[in-house]
Amino acid sequence: MEKCIAAIATPLGTGAVAIVRLSGKDSLKIAQSIFISKNMQDVQPRHMYFGRLCLEENVFEQCLMVYFKAPFSYTGQDVVEFQIHGGVLLAQKVLERVLQAGAVLAEPGEFSKRAFLNGKITLDKAEAIIGEINAESEGELVSSLQVTNGALAQRILSVQESLKTILAELEVGMDYPDETEETKLKTNVFSRLKKLSGELEEILENSKSAKYLSDGINVALVGRTNVGKSSIMNALLGKERAIVTDIQGTTRDQIVESFSFDGVKFNLTDTAGIRDTEDFVESLGIEKSKQSAKAADVVLFVLDGSEPMSEDDKQIEKLLQQSAKNVVYVINKTDKKRLLPKKDNEIEVSALQNKNISALKEKIKKLVIEKEIDFNKLVITNQRQFGILQEAENVMQEVLKEQMPSLDIVAMQIKKIWQILGKITGNTENEDIIDLIFSKFCLGK
Amino acid sequence: MRMENFDSIVVGAGHAGCEAALALARTGNRTLLLTISLDAIAFLACNPSIGGTAKGQLVAEIDALGGQMGINADQTALQIRMLNRGKGPAVQSLRVQADKNEYHSQMKKVLESEPNLFVRQGEVDKIEIADDGYKIITTHLGLQYRAKSVVFATGVYLKSDIIIGHTRQFIGPNGFKNSATLSDSLAALGIKLLRFKTGTPVRIHARSVDFSQMEVQKGEEDILSFSTMTEKKVENRAECYLTYTTPQTHQIIRDNLDKAPAISGEIKGVGPRYCPSIETKVVRFADRDRHQLFLEPEALDTKEMYLQGFSTSMPADLQLEMVHSVIGLEKAEIMRDAYAIEYDCIDPTQLRPTLELKTIDGLFFAGQINGTSGYEEAAAQGIVAGINASLYNQNKPQLVLKRSDGYIGVLIDDIVTKGTNEPYRMMTSRAEYRLLLRQDNADLRLTEIGRRVGLVSDERWEKYCQKCEKIKKIEEILSQKVKLDEKLETLFAENSEPLPKENPHFADLLKRNNLDIFKIDQAYHLFGDFDKRLLEIVNTKCKYEGYLKQQQDEIDKMLANESVEIPENFDYMSIKGLRVEAREKLSQIRPLNLGQASRISGVSPADISILSILVKKANSSK
Repeated sequence: MEKCIAAIATPLGTGAVAIVRLSGKDSLKIAQSIFISKNMQDVQPRHMYFGRLCLEENVFEQCLMVYFKAPFSYTGQDVVEFQIHGGVLLAQKVLERVLQAGAVLAEPGEFSKRAFLNGKITLDKAEAIIGEINAESEGELVSSLQVTNGALAQRILSVQESLKTILAELEVGMDYPDETEETKLKTNVFSRLKKLSGELEEILENSKSAKYLSDGINVALVGRTNVGKSSIMNALLGKERAIVTDIQGTTRDQIVESFSFDGVKFNLTDTAGIRDTEDFVESLGIEKSKQSAKAADVVLFVLDGSEPMSEDDKQIEKLLQQSAKNVVYVINKTDKKRLLPKKDNEIEVSALQNKNISALKEKIKKLVIEKEIDFNKLVITNQRQFGILQEAENVMQEVLKEQMPSLDIVAMQIKKIWQILGKITGNTENEDIIDLIFSKFCLGK
Repeated sequence: MRMENFDSIVVGAGHAGCEAALALARTGNRTLLLTISLDAIAFLACNPSIGGTAKGQLVAEIDALGGQMGINADQTALQIRMLNRGKGPAVQSLRVQADKNEYHSQMKKVLESEPNLFVRQGEVDKIEIADDGYKIITTHLGLQYRAKSVVFATGVYLKSDIIIGHTRQFIGPNGFKNSATLSDSLAALGIKLLRFKTGTPVRIHARSVDFSQMEVQKGEEDILSFSTMTEKKVENRAECYLTYTTPQTHQIIRDNLDKAPAISGEIKGVGPRYCPSIETKVVRFADRDRHQLFLEPEALDTKEMYLQGFSTSMPADLQLEMVHSVIGLEKAEIMRDAYAIEYDCIDPTQLRPTLELKTIDGLFFAGQINGTSGYEEAAAQGIVAGINASLYNQNKPQLVLKRSDGYIGVLIDDIVTKGTNEPYRMMTSRAEYRLLLRQDNADLRLTEIGRRVGLVSDERWEKYCQKCEKIKKIEEILSQKVKLDEKLETLFAENSEPLPKENPHFADLLKRNNLDIFKIDQAYHLFGDFDKRLLEIVNTKCKYEGYLKQQQDEIDKMLANESVEIPENFDYMSIKGLRVEAREKLSQIRPLNLGQASRISGVSPADISILSILVKKANSSK
């Protein structure tokens, strides 16, 4: 039976709506396991269901679901489509969830191919599908080449190498029983596997896009007092937050609050207001601000639009130029007359009137996502990386969980992990392992 | 000139030739078996053992198809052992030390008593294809034979050279005559030849060995037999010994590397990496101060012993010096020198997965001539080539064993799809579905196929049916529910677990770490006198259910591609969508189906996607 495949069906970029499509016998089952709506037990084909898709524990995204029953669908198989808010990250996150739930990432052109093989597309379209497969696999090649040069790929390659070595040792142990001490081999293999599992997890964590997806975008609010940082923070959060009393002379901890927009998590850090005192330069505030500015993916430099630049403003501006990477000038109080000179990368808001707050969110998101992740080039690889790394780590956990596995089972699972990772690195030839067995070990009659 | 007619001719009576000839004769073909020497029939030219890891699986599969190797090994066994007992069911394999003289004479007897089989000494010089497609074989003495199909199973005899030190002799293994002209005749048919190399260690006189310095290796007493046809338990009649090389051995080798033909470059043939000579081992693994060696009896009626791990092509005088540096062999007498052998074989990618040559119908190849190594690998190909030659004679569709059917399927698919650049040896790591392809279920996997092609006798079929019946009964018993009583409590308490709330099935108990079918039988007396081997099969099936399913899923996925046949004359070169490399590789291998195409190196998943569409297009526009 063919596996249920999934992919983002809409063009990458920022449309109003994105579609994540599943095709295969299990597609409805997978959808039911992650989508909450009325009557999910009795889903009617070609009805639109409104509900919530569970992205992770307690994180939901409102969206629409449609089910097409075989053979009345694009591919001729059971198909489920999730229509979600536009935006690449959200679509990716939904896709990631679907893959976790049991679908596999579609190969280039696979939906069309299935449609063709099930007689849904006529023969004269065959050439067009071939073009599609070639274009997509070429696109994939370009992105995987970029990844090959990257540090991430290097790490995956090294994990794969280690797995291969372990596998080769296990295989030698089994194919040449006279040459190996078994218990030693087993303990050794397990301790090395644990280390590799840690590494995989770390790669998952560190993978840049993975970081934005799971940890969110870190945003720091910087500015002198009285420019309206707190109200902007509240406006962004969409709720009233308790105001921290400003007691002079105490070191105030940073306040971090999160909100979600378009499926992306934003972590807002209020830098506790830089006081306009004489000794500003010497004050602790400057260190704090430096640190948060450095750590943040985006710094919102809040200015009062109704006043000209003050000395403090200028000092902060200088500081940010040195240490922050993405600075947005947030000109607040635009309900009043503008006295502040125009800035390059600015956005006018009014926290008081809740004006332009959504635009600000959109701007932050675009800044990070378009600058940090080149989606046109890397997104396919990223989708794959997610699915693939996650899949690999899942199998790894399974192996480690097993209490008394025999060597043949351990080898079988390690090989599976190795093959899964090979989908990123391209190393999947069984012959590689056999070569290694011979090169590393001294065998023979 | 007088020309005798046969249905089939098999050239070569080694392990491949014997199985091929028996398969042909037993399925009703008047068969001629030609061999250079009647004394070389089923000759164990190298190690005196049958089976071992992965090879044990091959023997069990040959047996299931109705072959002779397993029975012959049982009848001539000196010792039987199960390898990898603790390492899981997928990799457990039987190995027997066989009496090499008995092995030969016993097989010869079997061949001689086969009514349809004519065994004849004779060196084949030439093969020609007549206009009617029939094959004409001419021997060195000018005799001619004609047949519809021919199986070549010539082993390492084609233009073979024996190399010891600087001495190169144009002879066959163990001093038998080689075949001087047949490979030219094959080349004249347009067949591409390769030149491979292998070797064998010294034989030592038992009286000169100090066994007290070595570790004894005994056979195991609770193993019944290789073949499901063997009624009597195999007896352990001899012992093996474990010993080691010393730093002195390594020094002698290092000091004399200029005399080693494999290292000096005198030997050009490609040798197997899994079976390196002792000098190669010393050079490549310089950090090891000793290598293990096994001393194995060659036969009961001789004192010759085989020194496993000591292959070499060093000059004879040095061989003696090297042997004397091994623990317990200080005073050893060498009876036969170790040698390397170079020989012609064919590039196996010229074959279909049926082992028939792609360019000439009715011409089959099996064994070392296909670039493989090992008795079991040879016999496995022999039985398939024999079956297919027989089906060819009957104008019936041929047999292709899939990778999911057995190790034989893996072996043949590997060599015909990927080719090989060294003698190919079977290893469990080559079989991706090895948890399903176990030795213990080989008959369950293959007996029906063997029956369909007419090779499984009524007796074997009857046994197989009874076995299936009994397994079904065991499974029925296991599907019963267990009472929540003290007995169960004790079983659970062993693992310090409380009783479950609902009555479990016996099968559920099997899945627990501390329990297996034998413990349960001890506690509940469920199975009376059921064969232990059957209980073990069911035990594995239950215990590994999840993993077995995982492999079955993978197989199902693979079979989806395997079932899409590619038309034989499919024109790959004109497909614009395919990359040039893929076009060339596909045109060369001409895979039978999409599955085989996907395993060709240099063919990408995208190529397969494209191919699947075009194949469908081609098939539906027919």
